[in-house]
Amino acid sequence: MADYNKPIPSPDPYVTQPFWDGAKEGKLMLPRCTSCNRVHWYPRILCPHCHSSSIEWFEASGEGFIHTYAVQNRAFGGWADETPYATAYIDLVEGDRMFTALRGVDAENPESIKIGARVKIEFDQADEDTYVPYWRVVD
Amino acid sequence: MADYNKPIPSPDPYVTQPFWDGAKEGKLMLPRCTSCNRVHWYPRILCPHCHSSSIEWFEASGEGFIHTYAVQNRAFGGWADETPYATAYIDLKEGDRMFTALRGVDAENPESIKIGAKVKIEFDQADEDTYVPYWRVVE
Amino acid sequence: MPSNPSMSAAIVAAAESDKIGYIEEGTTALNLHIEAIRNVCAEAGISPTEIEGVFATNHANMLAEYLGIHPKYIDTTSVGGCSFQMHVHHALAAINAGVIDIAVVSHGEAGFSARKNQGNGTLRGGGGDPWTPAAQFGGGPYGAWGPPSYYAHALTRHMHQWGSTKEDFANIAVVTREWAGLNPRAVMHSKETNKFGGPITVQDVLDSRMIVWPLNLLDICLVTDHGGAVLLASAEKARSFKTPPVWIAGAGENQSHADMLEMDDFTATSAHASSEAAYRMAGMGPGDMEMAMIYDSFTVTAGITAEMLGLTPRGEGPSLWADGNASPGGKFPVNTNGGGLSFSHSGMYGMMLLIEAYRQLSGTAEDGVHGIEGKQTSAQSAVVNGTGGLLSVTGTLVLTSDV
Repeated sequence: MADYNKPIPSPDPYVTQPFWDGAKEGKLMLPRCTSCNRVHWYPRILCPHCHSSSIEWFEASGEGFIHTYAVQNRAFGGWADETPYATAYIDLVEGDRMFTALRGVDAENPESIKIGARVKIEFDQADEDTYVPYWRVVD
Repeated sequence: MADYNKPIPSPDPYVTQPFWDGAKEGKLMLPRCTSCNRVHWYPRILCPHCHSSSIEWFEASGEGFIHTYAVQNRAFGGWADETPYATAYIDLKEGDRMFTALRGVDAENPESIKIGAKVKIEFDQADEDTYVPYWRVVE
Repeated sequence: MPSNPSMSAAIVAAAESDKIGYIEEGTTALNLHIEAIRNVCAEAGISPTEIEGVFATNHANMLAEYLGIHPKYIDTTSVGGCSFQMHVHHALAAINAGVIDIAVVSHGEAGFSARKNQGNGTLRGGGGDPWTPAAQFGGGPYGAWGPPSYYAHALTRHMHQWGSTKEDFANIAVVTREWAGLNPRAVMHSKETNKFGGPITVQDVLDSRMIVWPLNLLDICLVTDHGGAVLLASAEKARSFKTPPVWIAGAGENQSHADMLEMDDFTATSAHASSEAAYRMAGMGPGDMEMAMIYDSFTVTAGITAEMLGLTPRGEGPSLWADGNASPGGKFPVNTNGGGLSFSHSGMYGMMLLIEAYRQLSGTAEDGVHGIEGKQTSAQSAVVNGTGGLLSVTGTLVLTSDV
């Protein structure tokens, strides 16, 4: 944690707190609309699908699939030390999509990374309160 | 100069440099259009009256008159130490108008300040290169 | 009773700032604006005092004050590089409604100078709200660092979904550089204008530095200084200027998302909707277009947009540039100024699309300054599409010559 040298998100106390609370315990918490039952990501105060304000949080599987990816050969700050590294948009099993720095891939070899590959979430402790989600290819 | 604790302007090298060069020597330099002969303030790359781009700089009298004023009873940063102090818009003898912190007035007594009072310019050294203009009531 | 605004206004003049590109001695966004407005008024033969509407993404109130004018219509829509197409759309509506007769759309952005002026030369950026969804879940914490780091994901997905190749997209940069060779003001016109200038090959693109796989350096636009302005006038006044009118036959705009997290299909933009609106207003279709000006922040931006504008089948956007089709002398000229890839791209590029489309359709694309022999095409109609944000927002115009 003392070594964490990348930008750290600022959890906001109004909307996203359940996600960050879950992250501390290694759980992926997702918001779901109780009116239309659809998951949305990023968290909102109203459902982007049906505009209901009834949102509940639930513990998700933490599994997903690569929707698309890129390899960052150039970067700044703490990320500069890690180039090349892959970033990806992850299709969540429960629905919608999350952005991540991807683990468990050979970023020196961009074509070796497979769209559709299965990934699981993990969390890095970045500071006392903030655990940052990463996704790792597991097959 | 080491004591100068108020915001210091950033002279821009493209348009306003002659003003700041003059300020260093205690001179008020003003821009004048060579097409319509009118002075404009702030400095521009074209005349706001006739839109000509032929602008020359000349040394002005450094004299003017109070157009209107106010007394700042609340302020921030370095200015906070000087409350109450007067600010004013100065009608320049050569034309157009300049904003300033006003000197030579009793800011505790706002009504004692006279619109139309004659003022002269002076410059305070704020850092190595920047001299900030002030106007002082001289009658 | 609403009426179709098609042809109720025309672009009557277009001009750039005095200097564009890598301005070594530096400049500011405001100076670039003012130079462009002064130049466009001079070209049209009017005084800035005749301007009734001011459209700009930044400095909108400062522009009028600086010029000593009192506009009765002010629009500061600022949603990225397509903002200028949207300004034209909005100005068309205002003119059609009879609110104003003459408007300026202006741009000044010191993308290059701002770097050495520590941000003094530009109003871009600034965000600073740490609690936006993108700040928490979209960007830096997860390894993104700027537009290229996001856009690359779209190209990966396009290759996966449609079987396209890096070579297909690299060819867009090659063809665009061919046009830059006919534009003396293009940064990459020749070895004289820039040591990396002059013609390039697909292999050159593939061999250039990898910035974000699959985007190489030459898939990515320049970051320069430029200003530009176009004057718009009502149909009634459009022929009272020194310069010829180019008619606004259609206009449309749309937005699919803001953050790429919400981009449903990484190989599609809202240009399908904004162009549909523009074509419908014009009573024309993609088959009626004789050239295109397509925002090319990246090769992938241009390639996808070609599909969205109906100029190629889905998945085959880069084919628009294949076999010399979009090249000088080709059947369907595209990005005839050299584009954001090789001409000039300040950060928000859309103004340059307007200026070049005006020059092509008014027959002034080849006068030694605006282009050399071979740059002027015979096109009488153009589709012009700006893309803003992270493939987020689009504005489309259909323009026609005064024939």
